[in-house]
Amino acid sequence: MSESTCSILHIDMDAFYASVEVRDQPNLLGQPVCVGGPEGGRGVISAASYEARKFGVHSAMPCAQARRLCPSMVLLPPDFDRYTEASRQIMAVFQSFTPLVEPLSLDEAFLDVSGCERLHGSARDIGLSIKREIQKRTALVASVGLAPSKFLAKLASDLDKPDGFRVIEPHEIRAVLDPLSVSKIFGVGQRTAKRLGAMGIHTVGDLAHRPRHEVAREFGTSGAWIHDLAHGIDTRRVTPRRSEKSSGCERTFAEDIEDREELRLFLLQFCEGIGFQLRHKGLRGRTVTLKARFGDFTTVTRTKTLSTATNLGPRIYATARDLLERVPPGPLRLLGVQISALEDVRLPRQQGLFDSPANDAQAASADEASSARLGRVTRGLDRLRHKYGKAVVVPASLLGRG
Amino acid sequence: MKVLCDREQLREGLAVVNNVIPPRSTKPVLENVCLVASDDALELLGTDLEVAVRYRVGEVKVSEPGLAVIPARVALDFIRDLSSETVALESADGRCTISGGSDSCELVTLDADEFPVVSRFDEEKTLTIQGGTFTRLVGQTAFAAAREAGRYAMHGVLMVMEEGHLKLVGTDGRRLALSSTPVDQPSEDIKPSILPTKGIQLFCRVIEDPLDMVQLQFGENQVGLKSKNAEIFTRLIDGEYPKYTQVVPSETAHIVEANADLMGRKLRLVANVTGDEARAVRFKVERDEIAMFGRSAGRGEAQAHMEVKYDGSGSSISFNPDYVLDGLKHCDQETLRLEFSDKSSPGKFCLGENYIYIVMPITIDT
Repeated sequence: MSESTCSILHIDMDAFYASVEVRDQPNLLGQPVCVGGPEGGRGVISAASYEARKFGVHSAMPCAQARRLCPSMVLLPPDFDRYTEASRQIMAVFQSFTPLVEPLSLDEAFLDVSGCERLHGSARDIGLSIKREIQKRTALVASVGLAPSKFLAKLASDLDKPDGFRVIEPHEIRAVLDPLSVSKIFGVGQRTAKRLGAMGIHTVGDLAHRPRHEVAREFGTSGAWIHDLAHGIDTRRVTPRRSEKSSGCERTFAEDIEDREELRLFLLQFCEGIGFQLRHKGLRGRTVTLKARFGDFTTVTRTKTLSTATNLGPRIYATARDLLERVPPGPLRLLGVQISALEDVRLPRQQGLFDSPANDAQAASADEASSARLGRVTRGLDRLRHKYGKAVVVPASLLGRG
Repeated sequence: MKVLCDREQLREGLAVVNNVIPPRSTKPVLENVCLVASDDALELLGTDLEVAVRYRVGEVKVSEPGLAVIPARVALDFIRDLSSETVALESADGRCTISGGSDSCELVTLDADEFPVVSRFDEEKTLTIQGGTFTRLVGQTAFAAAREAGRYAMHGVLMVMEEGHLKLVGTDGRRLALSSTPVDQPSEDIKPSILPTKGIQLFCRVIEDPLDMVQLQFGENQVGLKSKNAEIFTRLIDGEYPKYTQVVPSETAHIVEANADLMGRKLRLVANVTGDEARAVRFKVERDEIAMFGRSAGRGEAQAHMEVKYDGSGSSISFNPDYVLDGLKHCDQETLRLEFSDKSSPGKFCLGENYIYIVMPITIDT
């Protein structure tokens, strides 16, 4: 039975951001290093080294709290360019073994290595090779889980962390799962765990021994799903390129911002970034959504659907800027833009009547005509960006902004 | 104010005026109709500040001239459901009583001074045209006008006088409909005007008999239409209309003649099997035949064939079927002519003697 063969790998880097920092600044070795911040304001910890975790510091914790727990903590601001570079190297290692790589984030991915045996040896050998290869190429440590399914593989990589390598064979599923807390099940959060606890279900074993219909009655379809997982049943496949529904960017400001000009500059920055991402992935989108959260945490969203899909920063920005006008005045804590209704750029495209240069002067069609021109310019700029880095060309108003 | 009127005529008038009156408005007075009783006439006034209508109710007896501003929707609903043949309207002391037979209602009136001024039709710069012809021209063009926000000038129908013809144009930037009719006393000093789509469609609502003649009046900021019972005005869109004449192809490489009705049926058939995200049907012309192809990613594909009159070389072009069908619905004659040059240039559908419809094709970026 192919389902029960161990061929799904889950690879997860140990304290990724923090490890990259320690690698690049060896004097930090052995110290409680965290990445995140800023410390003064509302910064949170993005990653904590294992030394810091001993103090109880974990990711998503407010920096101030982390500092109280661990006064000697070394807090560094994130440097995503370096993490992205390391991530690219890691993903390249994965790709050298199988094309069936499903990245979950910068430092985490599922791989399906079934059928690779003749080329690279058994799944276990591949897992060990990948771990070694990552260490060799990036000087970073990965934890590897190998199991018959995604859920179990992810569980496995977590069991031996850090520097782990764990295989869950089909025959040991029950022995591994039963004693674990139900909260280890993917999809069981605090609230579900509490409700399960009220039903007398505390471990995965407790859950697995309940009749399926009973759990399904209590939790609906998600009940059936977690019951399956408790039995180690997970039929999800490793899908190399999950079709994306949206692309976006948002930021929580260190201090609330009321100045609309300043907010517009952030918007422009977000939109330029989103446009670049979309073009890189060969996508374009039609629906622009702006999200604004006020100081008192009330959140408003404003949405507009364009007549034609775009992946050009200035066009997304033009819409986002109009949407910002529709947000009531007041200091904002968070601002974000998202573009959805994504489609492949290779899809058929409706031509416009007034796109030709003869009609360039027409105000009504200027957007489409200029889009065509902008598209040509952007292709050139993107080539530069790919060669010399994203910062090589930016709109003048964003010069000098991180 | 004290008036006696025929219930049916009053109902008809209120129905026309209610088409203009907004159901909800930030200015509550606009949700009202203004009744104006003069010595021998009762006029109903309504406006949403973009379109304004003045309707003259026939067969009335005014025993006391005066004004009353009453909630328009309620008045229409009440009068529609009355069963008497005549209705009496009487207003005094902030109340207006509507009674028919033994039934009546009393509505709150608003101060008549608050009601916006509604224009009167004057006879300058006018043009006379048959009501039915006007309605047809609007039907053939208004559907193509833009609906989405953003392209301001395209949110209406362009009216121009040219070479003795009254021309109407509607476009949303992807398709364009152009229909015209010769007029008897052409006055060339009428300037091109863009009428909001809603406004021009409401114009058609006041034309009761298609055989009646109606008058159009062209002003600086508004255009008016006068029918037998009503005068209606719409504010104009102040913007530059796209240079539509430049996008009408004059010479094309391929000319196909086809039965319009059959093309509509074949196209609908194939359009059923096109993607939601990319509605496109490919028209492949060959000697005396059009083949249509539709496909839907992951679901399948369809094709249909029809005989046509064509003796050129083989070629093909893709359109959004919905756009083409929109035009075919208004086709004036049995046989249409499709003219195009290549797969990325506009397709021109000749759908009547003075009616053409341009549709931009769908292409695939490489």
